[in-house]
Amino acid sequence: MLIEVFGPGCAKCQTMEKHAKEAVEQSGGEHQVVKISDYAAMASRGILSTPALALDGQIKFQGRVASSDEILALIKG
Amino acid sequence: MSDVAAQPSLIRRGGWLLLALPLWVFLYLVIHPVSEWLAYHLLGLTPKSHLGEAIAFLFYDTPKVLLLLTLVVFIVTFIQTFVSPNKVRDALSKRRPGLGNALASVFGIVTPFCSCSAVPLFIGFLRAGVPLGVTFSFLVAAPMINEVALGMLFAMFGWKIAAIYAGTGVAVAFTSGLILGRLRMERHLEGWVQDALNAPSLGDIEDENVTLAVRIDLAVQGVKEIVGKVWPYILAGIAVGAFIHGYVPESLMAGLLGKKTWYSVPLAVVIGVPLYSNAAGVMPIVEALLGKGAALGSTLAFMMAVIGLSLPETVILRKVMRPRLIATFVGVVATGILLVGYLFNAIL
Repeated sequence: MLIEVFGPGCAKCQTMEKHAKEAVEQSGGEHQVVKISDYAAMASRGILSTPALALDGQIKFQGRVASSDEILALIKG
Repeated sequence: MSDVAAQPSLIRRGGWLLLALPLWVFLYLVIHPVSEWLAYHLLGLTPKSHLGEAIAFLFYDTPKVLLLLTLVVFIVTFIQTFVSPNKVRDALSKRRPGLGNALASVFGIVTPFCSCSAVPLFIGFLRAGVPLGVTFSFLVAAPMINEVALGMLFAMFGWKIAAIYAGTGVAVAFTSGLILGRLRMERHLEGWVQDALNAPSLGDIEDENVTLAVRIDLAVQGVKEIVGKVWPYILAGIAVGAFIHGYVPESLMAGLLGKKTWYSVPLAVVIGVPLYSNAAGVMPIVEALLGKGAALGSTLAFMMAVIGLSLPETVILRKVMRPRLIATFVGVVATGILLVGYLFNAIL
């Protein structure tokens, strides 16, 4: 699965990225975590507040840091 | 299994809250006697002496501000889980200037907003058809009328000062947005922003469905995050506050930031803008300033300048606005703050 983390690079966004990587590690699966800090990309995806996280192209969280458990639950579906 | 992890128990959280509340009240009641005991008995300082007053202020104010901050942040973050930028955007889209500016200014108080979100939010609003001036009203109100600062003012100085702060903040945001909208400065947005505004949308996002237990978790997370992040600012603020409290004579403060000094309001703004502090960190300074006879208008202007016109946020907004627009933005907001300061110095 493709996990995208959106954020300009503030502390919250880095925490979100860290949580996403932890979740991937715990899941044991082959998932890719990508960090996107380009504002134009965020705009086209309809993101209003950061950090945001998308799973396979679908935005699942925005405006808050999700815990690694929450992200793991999403990956497991 | 993942369902259990994703759905936290409400009862357990409610239980913890019921335990935490009496503990909070108990701590709040004992800090005053404990701080005096520490300063005057344990350390043997003389009451009414400069050092004694300063140290007692330090011992009393640190736990007091932290306790109040914890409670305020919890309540505010909980309320904010019900308001999302998405909802605000939808409520503001295609609104006429005037009503739109008024709504945007009021929404700015309650919407969760961190300055690193300023750019995506700005573009997202414009893309959804929120007029530029209305978007500006929101961008002015969101940081300037900080919900935590509002709660802290209410807790420390009562509803009148809190209402004056919120009311004047809304007035500044409303007017600034109205003026900036009239100036038709769309062409002073950076080129890439204009492109982004016209780019096709790849879909819209729906708000998450959050349960009450998750809202409580988010509020607790907010407390940890904010209190964990701002305590150094608070300590610094209290140290400055303690110094003002113990050492700065009332006559000096009344002279510099008093009502009768014509330059007190601009001076407060000039000191305030480069001082990047957190809303909560300013409170002890505000407390000490007011206690030492600084005029309310000057103090409000100082606080608004510190919180509402911060340098880092200006740097972030520079990414979307060309220099002329950003200068106009800062100029209009600063003028608004100055007017608020003079107004309150004149009528109170």
